[in-house]
Amino acid sequence: MQTKIKGLRFWCCALAGSASLALIPMTTTVAAEDTRVNGYVENATYGREGVGLSKFRNTLQMELEKQAGNVGIFNNLKFNATLRGSYDGVYDLNDDEYGRNAGGAVQLEGTQGFVPHGGGIAPTPFLGFDINENPNDGMVVLGEHLHSQDNGVAFGVPVRPCDKDDRGCIQGYLDKDSNELRFSEFNDRADFIRELYADFDINFDNGNILSTRLGKQQVIWGRTDLFRVLDVINPVDYSRNNIYDELEDIRIPMWILRTDYRMGPTEVFDGFAFDDLNFQMVWNFDKFRPHDIGQCGQPNVILDAGCFFRGMNNLWENGGTVANFAGATPDGGLATDFGPGQIGIRKAHMPSWSLANTQLGLKMEGVYGDLGFSLNALTYRSQLPSLRGGIPAQNGFTGETAVFPSLIAFDIHFPRVNLVGGSLDYYSQGIDTVFRVETSYTSGEEFANTLRKELYSESDVLRYVVGADKSIFIPALNENQAFLFSGQIFGQHILDHEREQRTYGEAGIPDYEHNWTATLLIQGFYMNGRVTPKVITAHDFRAQATAIAPSVDWLVNDQFKLSLGGNFKVGTGARKFDDCRSCNPWDPFTQTPGVAGQQPGESAGLSSYEPLGRFKSGPIGMAQKEDEIQLTARYSF
Amino acid sequence: MNIKFKPTALSQCLAAGLVAGMFAAQVQANEDVIQNSFFPYKNEVPSHDGLSVGMTIDQSNVAQFKEVIDPAFYTFIENGWTSITVGETTSFGLNEGYVDATRSSVGKVSLGEQVGEINGWQAGRPFPQEPDANDPRAGEKLAWNYKYGYNWGDSAAISPFYWKYRDMNSGKVERTIKFNFHFLNFKGRVNQEPVPEITPNPSDLFRAIYLQVLDPADVRNTQLLIHRASDDLKRDNSWLYLGFQRRVRRLATGQVTDAFLGSDLMIEDFEGYNGRISDMNWTYKGTRDMLMPFYNHNDLELDTETHQDSDGYQVVAFSGQGGCFPNITWQLRKVYEVESVPVDESHPLSKRVHFVDAQTFTIPRTVSYDRRGSMWKTFTIGQAHPDYHLPKNKGTGVSIDDSFSMIDVQASHCTTGQFKGQVDPEMSPPQMFNVQHLRATGS
Repeated sequence: MQTKIKGLRFWCCALAGSASLALIPMTTTVAAEDTRVNGYVENATYGREGVGLSKFRNTLQMELEKQAGNVGIFNNLKFNATLRGSYDGVYDLNDDEYGRNAGGAVQLEGTQGFVPHGGGIAPTPFLGFDINENPNDGMVVLGEHLHSQDNGVAFGVPVRPCDKDDRGCIQGYLDKDSNELRFSEFNDRADFIRELYADFDINFDNGNILSTRLGKQQVIWGRTDLFRVLDVINPVDYSRNNIYDELEDIRIPMWILRTDYRMGPTEVFDGFAFDDLNFQMVWNFDKFRPHDIGQCGQPNVILDAGCFFRGMNNLWENGGTVANFAGATPDGGLATDFGPGQIGIRKAHMPSWSLANTQLGLKMEGVYGDLGFSLNALTYRSQLPSLRGGIPAQNGFTGETAVFPSLIAFDIHFPRVNLVGGSLDYYSQGIDTVFRVETSYTSGEEFANTLRKELYSESDVLRYVVGADKSIFIPALNENQAFLFSGQIFGQHILDHEREQRTYGEAGIPDYEHNWTATLLIQGFYMNGRVTPKVITAHDFRAQATAIAPSVDWLVNDQFKLSLGGNFKVGTGARKFDDCRSCNPWDPFTQTPGVAGQQPGESAGLSSYEPLGRFKSGPIGMAQKEDEIQLTARYSF
Repeated sequence: MNIKFKPTALSQCLAAGLVAGMFAAQVQANEDVIQNSFFPYKNEVPSHDGLSVGMTIDQSNVAQFKEVIDPAFYTFIENGWTSITVGETTSFGLNEGYVDATRSSVGKVSLGEQVGEINGWQAGRPFPQEPDANDPRAGEKLAWNYKYGYNWGDSAAISPFYWKYRDMNSGKVERTIKFNFHFLNFKGRVNQEPVPEITPNPSDLFRAIYLQVLDPADVRNTQLLIHRASDDLKRDNSWLYLGFQRRVRRLATGQVTDAFLGSDLMIEDFEGYNGRISDMNWTYKGTRDMLMPFYNHNDLELDTETHQDSDGYQVVAFSGQGGCFPNITWQLRKVYEVESVPVDESHPLSKRVHFVDAQTFTIPRTVSYDRRGSMWKTFTIGQAHPDYHLPKNKGTGVSIDDSFSMIDVQASHCTTGQFKGQVDPEMSPPQMFNVQHLRATGS
């Protein structure tokens, strides 16, 4: 691996920023017996191979807690607020990668050779676009950091902040301007108020407690790390550091009413009793928010989906050149200029606030003997987008506007999902190991599917994680303290999976019907736990992609912590799948060469890296070229 | 020859008198056991040649007192790392209810066939009789006396509790962790309602320990809950709530022999020994008079910086090499020396030597040895008399754990503890000791 050093000034700034944290004179904790004010300042400086600076985030977080005691019928009344603000200087310090000067002119592949954006064929009056509305500037080629165009689909994607270049910015979904990128918490959802809630109990005479938390908060379900099988109530900000940050830092708090009826040890009937029993109701009454998957032009865009969406929205709004399209075969096709309203993403249907759009969860949790358990049920909106085809679009050959089968013209939806699941933990005395199991069964999730005319289908999904934790002494490395080994295996099974072999390849759902991802954490402790090296490894079995994240935390003192880490990937990156160039939406003009008797809307399975290969590569595979060195300094007060 | 004995009024009277006399003798014998066990200083206090109240034992005169100082602490004084100020030997009378419970069960408790089994115990000290050197299970009986001791009474809290990690060479305080600790006995309760057991108690728990970290930020809101079953052969159930993960994680037992939060203590070290009787092989090594860390908190020169509150309470100060030694006074007291050897050969220790205070059955001094048999750590738990502590502790009959020092002699490192122990049932309600409380308290 070779890390490209883009300029000394970046690294000088980075080091200066980190070092300055140690010098910031901070006030000590404001402490009264019923009031607590704490916080931290942090600098996170990351350098990425081939890119240079990929993060220079400076954060101030304040936590305030006020105990009000017993008030009327309420016991243990407590108020809690967590405020967070950050400035990520990467958009200013590395602005030709991630800011106002990012991107440039692009060249797109075709059997006629490489042509500039706007230089494709436009054989009918309806094809082609106005280059002045959609200039060849401030763009990258979709997926260029990961793969070549390789006779497949590609198009230009604008990458500058939406106030600098609004092309492809999807209103209400992926439309951040420069300041929203720099100061990510200061937006119209007031994310600088990270948490703000009141806790209160009502104690009953029988010893049971009705315990309530009302306000903007995180609600955490489940027993596993990293994977979100049951922990799905809050959406997640993947734009912060992909899947690698602690979930506490990247869950997006929502306005929620959470109520627990805590029964403690409970005898259900003679001879059958729980050591602990609790019923929970969660009502997420906040306006819907999806995951933040990262906007194209940000350093972290999970699955590179934000770039695909932005490029597609630009195609819909302005038209554009698509590589290897017209007359495509496995040997490529002609780079083709589409007009506005013909292909692409039209808009995102963001669920508005209504009672029907709120989300409701129920949980029963307890301890029975050596077994901890929970049973969970949740009805919620998918936090991941679903692309539904079947929208009216213009035929590039006839000019007719209609719904065409399997046309790559979409709206984004966030469908209703119902989940039931449960979790267990169990300590096995015989092998001194704790096992954790978590599982969920969902209905209503939607997947891209090139076998369907609307290019998506619903499927029930079974997910589970089995984890095991064990401490093992390795005297050669540390005579005094054991190493923690924590392994997990995550399985996902798409129960209504569809895939068929067609003339040029497979068509259907790109995600694997059955897939597993394994993680292993090994953590050591030195200098009385003040130096903690660890390695986290994650391997996607079907994608054959692995992430390795070694790091060392050094607690210099109670206030100051330095973390040096890396994030490296090995294995396979980009993968190919049916791209629907051979879906024949505008029959007979779009029939695929070499395919006899092709019906309208029927895919011939012609494949390339974009756009659906990302679902086979997974988040690890899609980030194969995002190796990083990461330095974080935090001063707590 | 067959002689018929016709009972007369006189003979009946004599028989009744004999039975009554035997019963009275048994009662007296049992009472002697109680008096000897709980009030060893009623008639006289131990003495040692040259030892007097108020004197200081330091490098210059320690050799004279080798017999009454444990070997580890003797070395510390010999090295000039610390000294001992001798205080008057005083009685630390335990709670009357606990003594009464013992009185009513003298002779009714026995060991089971295997280590960890006990029969007939309800409450109180199970084996108040003097240990017999010829009894191969004498050490085990003493261990039971500790386990079922009146250590923190029926319930108590240490709130707050300061742990300082110190470099013994430089004296630098590397880390200060502020906790709250809470203890609750589910069974064997003798004082606080409900007595003798909290119900429902589906898992037949004997005791629970709950702790929460208040500071610093990186470990804030870490919580630990330990459930100890009445059946000693059953392993503890332990749960850890990690503040930065906001999740409850069940702990494997292996993790209770790891350094807790990077300190020099493992969870198993808490209170002197915090494990199962059946995890160790116990050997009684003898009875001695030894200098032990027992004192009156309010008579000490205290630490004015670490803790301030509206009660005006201050914690014990530390000094000596690296600041690893509490500024307290020591009493010459009757001590049982007990050795515990881990059953599990992969345990990080080869053995512990406990110096158990005969009156209170607390463990104020423990010396631990690594797998090679070398001295590794020594643990001092300062015991404060409840009548010279917080007003709320007066008359509780609890020997208050009030200061600790765990010294890793191999790493020249120590962890010190400064307590505000409070015997107050309101601070440790049963609802605090279930798993859901961890989730509800975490934020």
